[in-house]
Amino acid sequence: MAQTGWTPFFKKLRRYRALFLMMVPGIVYLVINNYLPMFGVVIAFKDINYAKGILGSDWVGFKNFEYLFKTADAYIITRNTILYNGSFIILNTVTAIAIAILLNEVRNKLSARFYQSVILLPFLISMVIVGYLVLSMLSAESGYLNLNLLPLLGIEPISWYFEPKYWPYILTIVQLWKSAGYLCVIFLAAIIGIDHEYYEAATIDGATKWQQIRAITVPLIAPTITIMTLLAIGRIFYSDFGLFYQVPLNSGPLQPVTDVIDTYVYRGLMTLGDIGMSSAAGLYQSLVGFILVLLSNFIVSRRNKENALF
Amino acid sequence: MTRKPQTVTLLLSVLLILSLLISACSSSSDSGGNTGSSDPAASNDGAAAPSSANGKEMELTVAFIGLGNMNEVALVQDEISKITKEKINATVKLMPIDIGAWAQQVNLLLAGNEPLDLLVTSSFLNFSSQVAKGQLLPIDELVEEHAPTIKETMELAIFHATKVGGKSYGVPSVRDTAADHGFVARKDLMDKYGLTFDNVKTYADLDPIFQKIKENEPGMYPLVQRSQTNGIAAEIVRGYIDTLGDTPGILIIENQDLKVVNLYEQQMYKDALQLARKWYEAGYIMPDAATTQESNNSLVKAGKGFSYLSNLKPGFEAQEKNVNGYEMVAARFVDPISTSDSGTGFMMSIPKNTQDPDRAAQLLNLLYTDRDIVNLIANGIEGKHYVDAGNGLIKAPEGGSNYVFNQWQVGNNALAKVWEGNAPDIWEQMKAFNKSSTFSKALGFSFDSSPVKTEVAAVANVNNQYKAGLESGTIDPAKLEEFISKLKAAGLDKILAEKQKQLDQWAKDNNVQ
Amino acid sequence: MKTNDMNQPVVHAIFIILVALCLFPFVLLIMSSITEESAIVSNGYSFWPSEFSLEAYSYLWMQKAAMFNSYGITVLITVVGTFVGLLISALLAYPLSRRDLPLRGMLSFLVFFTLLFNGGLVPTYLIYTEVFQMKNTLMSLIIPGLLTNGFFILLIRTFFANSIPVQIIESAYIDGASEFKIFYRIVLPLSLPILATIGLMLTINYWNDWFNGLIYITEPRLFSIQNLLNRMLVNIQFLQQNNLGNQQMAVNPPMNSVRMAMAVIGILPLILIYPFFQNYFVKGLTIGAVKG
Repeated sequence: MAQTGWTPFFKKLRRYRALFLMMVPGIVYLVINNYLPMFGVVIAFKDINYAKGILGSDWVGFKNFEYLFKTADAYIITRNTILYNGSFIILNTVTAIAIAILLNEVRNKLSARFYQSVILLPFLISMVIVGYLVLSMLSAESGYLNLNLLPLLGIEPISWYFEPKYWPYILTIVQLWKSAGYLCVIFLAAIIGIDHEYYEAATIDGATKWQQIRAITVPLIAPTITIMTLLAIGRIFYSDFGLFYQVPLNSGPLQPVTDVIDTYVYRGLMTLGDIGMSSAAGLYQSLVGFILVLLSNFIVSRRNKENALF
Repeated sequence: MTRKPQTVTLLLSVLLILSLLISACSSSSDSGGNTGSSDPAASNDGAAAPSSANGKEMELTVAFIGLGNMNEVALVQDEISKITKEKINATVKLMPIDIGAWAQQVNLLLAGNEPLDLLVTSSFLNFSSQVAKGQLLPIDELVEEHAPTIKETMELAIFHATKVGGKSYGVPSVRDTAADHGFVARKDLMDKYGLTFDNVKTYADLDPIFQKIKENEPGMYPLVQRSQTNGIAAEIVRGYIDTLGDTPGILIIENQDLKVVNLYEQQMYKDALQLARKWYEAGYIMPDAATTQESNNSLVKAGKGFSYLSNLKPGFEAQEKNVNGYEMVAARFVDPISTSDSGTGFMMSIPKNTQDPDRAAQLLNLLYTDRDIVNLIANGIEGKHYVDAGNGLIKAPEGGSNYVFNQWQVGNNALAKVWEGNAPDIWEQMKAFNKSSTFSKALGFSFDSSPVKTEVAAVANVNNQYKAGLESGTIDPAKLEEFISKLKAAGLDKILAEKQKQLDQWAKDNNVQ
Repeated sequence: MKTNDMNQPVVHAIFIILVALCLFPFVLLIMSSITEESAIVSNGYSFWPSEFSLEAYSYLWMQKAAMFNSYGITVLITVVGTFVGLLISALLAYPLSRRDLPLRGMLSFLVFFTLLFNGGLVPTYLIYTEVFQMKNTLMSLIIPGLLTNGFFILLIRTFFANSIPVQIIESAYIDGASEFKIFYRIVLPLSLPILATIGLMLTINYWNDWFNGLIYITEPRLFSIQNLLNRMLVNIQFLQQNNLGNQQMAVNPPMNSVRMAMAVIGILPLILIYPFFQNYFVKGLTIGAVKG
């Protein structure tokens, strides 16, 4: 943009000064709330001693990171984190788009509003409570499945909290149930924003509903899909702590399939209370996410510049 | 447009913030550096002069765990301030912090520079890391100067138990510092089936009792656990060991030595696992004991549990009756012991944030010596938060009280008035009980896990995977081998070696043989 | 407007199943909150309790003064926070959506970067308390949640960029409208769907926030409702598990049902105001449709 030297650039700034003014409050906020505290990244490399102050504490290099890589669990927690979050991204996106499209098809306004409210309900309940609700289903003695459902099917009661093999499915279902509604509302906003003329024209041309969805709806909300997916990829190393800790009730035998980076870090910190190690974990998670996003953003921008994040 | 000056001010304020921030960081590191490096005697010099005179009136902030009902804490605070203003020319600000917010808020308070003069600390709440991170002040000289009589209020060994690297960082509260161990059960059912403790000398002898309950009380589990982490096997061995902060690197009390051993490789532990497993398979223990969220008290109260194992103290049965709603009886199998965390369980410390260490120490002194202050903080205001119940005892007023404190954590509880339902001489009993206990050789040692934190994090994970299952009898004890080998792979031996090293050093510093 | 509609009975059938799936745990939640505690401990949660009891609610009612105060705090921070947050977000998102904006890539990156990296709790806390002196103020409950990070901004930006025809903006500019006027008169009315959505998200965030209260607030009079409930819950739990059994605290609260009653009390008002939000949402749509 500055290919013809500085003068045109400043002229341009003048032309856009109103737009820049609009951004000031937001930018100032992000600087204070997000950028100033980033000096805290140094904590990950320090042995914090408050008597010396954060900046005055001793440097310890990568010692705070060791526990994330050196132990036998490193492979398991990394694998679990990526597999779960990877499948969550795909499942959530597909389900939420499907529901959003369907919701947009409900002609009765009152029903549509009712459905939409109800679908968002699970999102409002905290994970701790969800953990108890799941327990009421799965409890060995008083749970619904063991008490009512399995006998109907002639299956012996199952000790759910000691059988790792069921948990990848249980966690996936709980996760989908809890967060699909939220995502759905975002996609719905994008769908509603689509100009109706497109559909009218398509109908006149005799396009079926399915064709319209494929040729109009999905391509037009593609920017929103892309952005949501990229953001999810950026957080792929972070997990919903409540889902992996509260819902399985922190049950030991389930750990090989329920342990993710966040729960592992939490357990270590419960006994240690070391902010150096938690900063290290956070930095590691951010860094991986950052690299993955840069990569996927690059791929997206090769295909369609407008859909890219930046 | 009027917008332009606004942008300028905004930009200016950003710059201002940045410069403030930089100065704040550097100044805090500067001032902090001094206290950290210079020896405490020298830094006291400046403060000593005003302290004797207590020239300027000031407000001292005291943070403690706010359990119970703290709605009228301000009234209590004003009453206490009346006394302290006269005695040390300072008012008091009581700052109850909820247990749910404790770890976060205290950590942040100590990271910043907010005023905080006295703080409840505990080995269960990161005491050793607070010391290691320089968040607490050494208090030996301060206590010597301003509170010389505190050490007479408790066992000397307990008083000295807060030392790290040869310096004290807190004063233990006066409470039940020792514990004996045993079995607690519902009295009505014991009587109903004619069960007694006559032939019950040890845990294994409980079998017939459980069997009787199992046969006659359908829907009730003969033995429940206090929580996930207090497994049956863990309760059985607890009376014989000093955990030195965490398992499995422990001392065996009766050996009276300083040799750190792996609990999980002891015969005693293997036997306890077998016993727990036997009970589990006999149906005495709940199938989901390892994951249940219900406490023993709610299970007993709901008629679903009959008994549990626990650490005990004088008056324990009376306390449990209140909570469970049933009369309880106890059998004591293991004589009282005092272990390395008996002293550090609850202490009062002076944090680095204090505005005046001397004045803080003077207030500390009052919490152990002034009957009125102790009574105010423990029981509230007479006539409002408690009333006389005769016989020197007190009870709650009609309609309840808006100040209910948890006695055990602060100061000299023996000075506070005793509640109805307890023996009037409960504190005499408690004192004799504490004195009679077998003291661990390592009493006063605290383990600093930071040199082996990578291993501690990995071991915590393995522990979580097996411990609750094994100790509740849910998992076959045959898995113990697998558990131990995974612990070793996670670096257990390194932790044990580090613990032994620190213990040896500690013994050398404190002339313990 | 003529489009061929999907088979309505089928659509409704699908939604009835979905609604049942979402409502079913919620009904369980409400029923558990009015179940006798010992019935929960011995039989687990059930849809039709063997014994009803309002003990949980009467336990909570003992704290009514604190509770109403906390509702007040929550409503206040939710209303102010949502409005200011939405305004700042839209103001930042709109210029970023303009493809002709100089430095657009760099500025977008600046916003995006906040999504991935943060300084962590301690540095953030120090900045708000030591530099801005916000400990124990209402500000500390509002400011940290205004944008949190750039997430909502990127969402709004995407909507602006894709749903508002560039020609409209350009022709308005040529007609002499100022950028602020274009934003206020054209962009905002056209983007009500996304604004209502983000407004809803902000409302939920503020309503459910307990973390800022946990770290910045020690004065009970400033506790938000989630904060108050959360603290009560943890306290009861701690008392139960640690067996401290102080003589004075013979009250043994019904843990299970109280937990559920708290969840009900915490989200019920939000569910009640949700229809109004939707009303606004739908109204916005019709305005948008007329203009479009």
